[in-house]
Amino acid sequence: STSSVLSTEKDESTTSKDSTTEVASKSQEGRAETPKQKLLDIIGNMKVEVSYRKKLQQLKTREVKKQATDKLGGPDSEGSMLQKTTEDAQRGKPLNPELVEAASAVASSLPFNKKQAESELLAQLRRHEEITDKQKKGGTINIRNVISEMSVKTQSPAQRGVRISNRISLELDEDGQRIKPGRLSPQSFDSRRYFSFFFLVYRSLKVGRRLNIFTKASTETENALKTVSSPTIWDLEFAKEIAAITAQPPRNGFEEMIQWTKEGILWEFPIDNEAGMEDDAEFHEHIFLEKHLKDFPKQGPIRHFMELVICGLSKNPYLSVKQKIEHIEWFQKYFEEKKELLQEI
Amino acid sequence: MAASALGWVLRAARQVLPSPCTKQVRSYYVDWRMLRDVKRRKLAYEYADERLRINAIRKNTILPKELQEVADKEIADLPRDSCPVRIRNRCVLTSRPRGVKRRWRLSRIVFRHFADHAQMSGIQRAMW
Repeated sequence: STSSVLSTEKDESTTSKDSTTEVASKSQEGRAETPKQKLLDIIGNMKVEVSYRKKLQQLKTREVKKQATDKLGGPDSEGSMLQKTTEDAQRGKPLNPELVEAASAVASSLPFNKKQAESELLAQLRRHEEITDKQKKGGTINIRNVISEMSVKTQSPAQRGVRISNRISLELDEDGQRIKPGRLSPQSFDSRRYFSFFFLVYRSLKVGRRLNIFTKASTETENALKTVSSPTIWDLEFAKEIAAITAQPPRNGFEEMIQWTKEGILWEFPIDNEAGMEDDAEFHEHIFLEKHLKDFPKQGPIRHFMELVICGLSKNPYLSVKQKIEHIEWFQKYFEEKKELLQEI
Repeated sequence: MAASALGWVLRAARQVLPSPCTKQVRSYYVDWRMLRDVKRRKLAYEYADERLRINAIRKNTILPKELQEVADKEIADLPRDSCPVRIRNRCVLTSRPRGVKRRWRLSRIVFRHFADHAQMSGIQRAMW
């Protein structure tokens, strides 16, 4: 029996909700007609799915639902409600007499304390009026400004990238051929509309003047730290996955040859005879190598030997200057190690 | 920021994973003799410069003989597989040590097989 009582109460509360919403909406229409009509015209031109009325209704339903739950809770909220009623009494703004009558009727239909319910409903209505006044003046979210600054839809590069990525699918069929996405598939269409709306709003947000809602956080230092600490193992795995997916086997001989050229198996055509040889040294550095013989003794067989070595190196076109210098230095080291032996002789 | 790090990681991954090809990749040598030959070639490449220089000291009439004797000992101390004389030009596909044509690195049998199937570029049966 208790459960049935509760269900009936809930039904009554829902009916009361509907009546309040209807009453409130009628009152709202009477007052905020002209600005709303202007908004609707603008919206109609832009074909954006933002509806002012729906938002208000949602707000109302939420608040009324909260109220209903509070009422069902009962004695805990009495004190807070009493405070609210006193606040309402202090407010000088008079409510519409029709609204007051409607509120009293609704309160009488509710099972709980009638006076309390009436006062609560009136408080709700006052709050709604405040919200509408604010929106008229332009204190809260001013949709009109945002919409007016929106321009004609042009394809942004990010949008184009999204479309291209939607077209190129990396999935493979059983046969091994790629699945081509259908052009007029419903999912892609909705996503396109969704994306277009998103990018419109994004562009308008960028274009318009600053609202100064958020403060710019210093993210530069964080970024610098992040580059040093990463890459983690997961990043490596992710990179490996990407490499494995993007490296598709070649579809024809040309792609195979391209792959080979990249790996270095195949030479680049037209053949460059000096490919791989990056000798920036002048000819005199190759030939006049006597300056490297400074540390050697100036007399004796070693000097004779080293001069022959230099003569041979200067005629060698295959070694780079660095390699020649290394050659001479090796001999230097070798003879320094054998100095004791040489002095015995 | 994250893109640059990811790019670096991608490059590293590419080096680690050579492009996955669907064809057969030779992961084993034909036989152990071929493997030993490969080891000898690697070592010979490593010690080529040293051997050349020590030999330059040895095959010399100017330097004193004592120095040349010391050089002899040094070159004998190097690993035995580092001398290029031990390398055998085997066939690349069958590891045959004899009958290998140097230009194609193939033994005569394999060469003949490919030439008859027209898989050797510019090779034709001789007729005169």
